Amino acid sequence: MKHTLIAASLALLALGSAQAQTVSYGIDPTHTFANFEIGHMGTSTLRGRFDKKEGTVQLDRTARTGSVDITIDVGSINTGVEPFNKHLLSEDFFNAAKFPTARFVSSKFNFSGDKLTDVTGSLTLLGKTLPVTLKATQFNCYMNPMFKREVCGGDFETTLQRSQWGMGWGLNMGAPDTVRLLVQVEAIKQ
Amino acid sequence: MQPAAFHIAAARAAFLWAATAGGPAYAQAWVYTLDPDHSFVHFEVQHFGTSTTRGRFGPVRGVVVLDRAAGRGELSLRIPTATVDTGIPVFNARLRQADLLASDEHPEAFFVATRFRFEGPRLAEVRGEFTWRGIGQALSLHATHFACRAVEGGEVCGGDFEGEVLRSDFGATFGLPLVGDRVRLKVQVEGRR
Repeated sequence: MKHTLIAASLALLALGSAQAQTVSYGIDPTHTFANFEIGHMGTSTLRGRFDKKEGTVQLDRTARTGSVDITIDVGSINTGVEPFNKHLLSEDFFNAAKFPTARFVSSKFNFSGDKLTDVTGSLTLLGKTLPVTLKATQFNCYMNPMFKREVCGGDFETTLQRSQWGMGWGLNMGAPDTVRLLVQVEAIKQ
Repeated sequence: MQPAAFHIAAARAAFLWAATAGGPAYAQAWVYTLDPDHSFVHFEVQHFGTSTTRGRFGPVRGVVVLDRAAGRGELSLRIPTATVDTGIPVFNARLRQADLLASDEHPEAFFVATRFRFEGPRLAEVRGEFTWRGIGQALSLHATHFACRAVEGGEVCGGDFEGEVLRSDFGATFGLPLVGDRVRLKVQVEGRR
């Protein structure tokens, strides 16, 4: 009985400390990128990414909860081909003049043991918000020797149908609807 | 060999090969010039065992000879290393330095391949030599996509090719092991004849 009480007290203490371990992280823009892949004429894969972004992550690894809010500057799109960038920013695709940012928000982090497995949230693109689940293919926390702070991060993937956000240019000419997103994220403990 | 000379020699070899390929086995050899809008080398490296750092080189320049009927081909590609683009200008500048890409001393990396493996009409793998920082090593790239399509006045062939190298094999050891040794290459190419 005595041992049970001690165990229960310890459990409560552990719970108490667990609730107090929500930590804020600021994303490291040099190791956070949304990359995309889309098929080109049934032949090869076009790749690009967005170079400017900002955001924060809250993570409680003990309670296995978290939230994220990342805003991407659509105008920073970079495919390596300037005319293609311009076309992507036009009204045919991202309509960056009217919708200069894209945003991903989530407060549902799913864990398996200590590992983050996926993040369910919503993606706002062209002013339209739809649910998106990013699957973690890698997740880890480490002590960064340069920042002298903990960094948590990983790789995340999902596949979107761009037409769902109203980005339908080229579909009638056979251009693919499916876009694969490959997201690198690292965030520094604040 | 100087890069310009390399390119001319490779192009001439490709042209001669195609032009002199009079026998029936070579009746359908064509020279494709890479399309600079659709020819890039993307790379992936592990960062602190946590996430994947990506970047891109290109456009890649070069020629590919394909004889789909005979199941043969060869290619010579030039990859301008100073074009490295990770989205972070200071990181690009660091990568160009002597202990990594060594872009001043070795402005181009090369991939020359003469062993093409087809599965039916589809190119499945190219094997050749990759030269980076003046060091040549065997490299195999396998095709994850390959297709040809007719275009006005010609044909475009291309696809996606993947392979990997250990950067330490080329003497680029800075940052090991925190930044990974294994560099995964994802190559988009489209060529036109």
